[in-house]
Amino acid sequence: MEYKGDILYIEQVLAGKSNAFSYIVNRHKDKAFNLALRICGNHEEAEEIAQDSFLKAYRSLKDFKRKSSFATWLYRIVYNTAISSVRIKKKGLLSLEDFPADATDFIGSNSSEEDAETEYRNSLVSFALQKINEEERGLISLYYYDEMSTEEISAVTGISKSNIKVKLFRARQKMLEIIERVEKKKLAYHE
Amino acid sequence: MSNQEKNKEDYLRQYINPERIEKAPEGFTSNIMTRIQVETELVKGRDKLRTRSIVPVISVTIIFLLIIAAFILPSGGNDTALLPGTKYFQNINLPVIKINLESLFSHDLPAWSPYLFIGILILTILDKALYGLFHRKEE
Repeated sequence: MEYKGDILYIEQVLAGKSNAFSYIVNRHKDKAFNLALRICGNHEEAEEIAQDSFLKAYRSLKDFKRKSSFATWLYRIVYNTAISSVRIKKKGLLSLEDFPADATDFIGSNSSEEDAETEYRNSLVSFALQKINEEERGLISLYYYDEMSTEEISAVTGISKSNIKVKLFRARQKMLEIIERVEKKKLAYHE
Repeated sequence: MSNQEKNKEDYLRQYINPERIEKAPEGFTSNIMTRIQVETELVKGRDKLRTRSIVPVISVTIIFLLIIAAFILPSGGNDTALLPGTKYFQNINLPVIKINLESLFSHDLPAWSPYLFIGILILTILDKALYGLFHRKEE
């Protein structure tokens, strides 16, 4: 499906055609949902956060100054909504024991060993993401999954570029520690 | 970025697959559009109510002012106690345009006029109350 520019639809919404907003939602819903999901780690909550963010964007569409792209502006809303939602509902951290040690646990009835390994890696990263704090989760998500530059991340989060680098460094280190510990556990399991 | 840091970044990249993106749940867009529609209707209803309420408010205010005027304003005579502005400009002899404001208030109001105004006020309030009672469903 080919989409016209966001600005065209934004102008239509501002002119009173609220249905034009559905094109904007369709275009950005997956990325918004995934960012929320990586920050909160729960599908239902992520859906709620993403929907609330789109509603907030709709309500304040007239305040969108077009200094940044619409996607950056929308991402900022999703990021802030997700961070505050997680802070309110602060959950207990997962223990390393919660992660299965063997990749074979991920093999479904019809999947190959390679698929299982990929699934294992994806789950391991999701697990490690949930072990770091919500702000770091947001930064890792924007940097690695959305492949944004530190400048773009700064526009979304409002954090300075140098601070982002420091926070990303810490988050990366924490995640690698968790991944290494799980991998060690996996090795011990095989021995 | 130091080499050690670069290695760490590359190592983490082995685990992260940016192409792995989950689809938003089904009905996501329609849910948002329904919420937007409900909200738009609510705002429209609120605006309508505000426009409707302003008419009786203005009429009640005018009637109140008229009642107060009927009690306070002198009937006839040349007392300008209520027009201090006029008196002030007369004293300082400024070349202002002379408007005979006194003549506006020099008419005698009949004794029953306050009762008429109170009657109008009661009827307006009653009208508003009945309107609210019978049009509630519509709003």
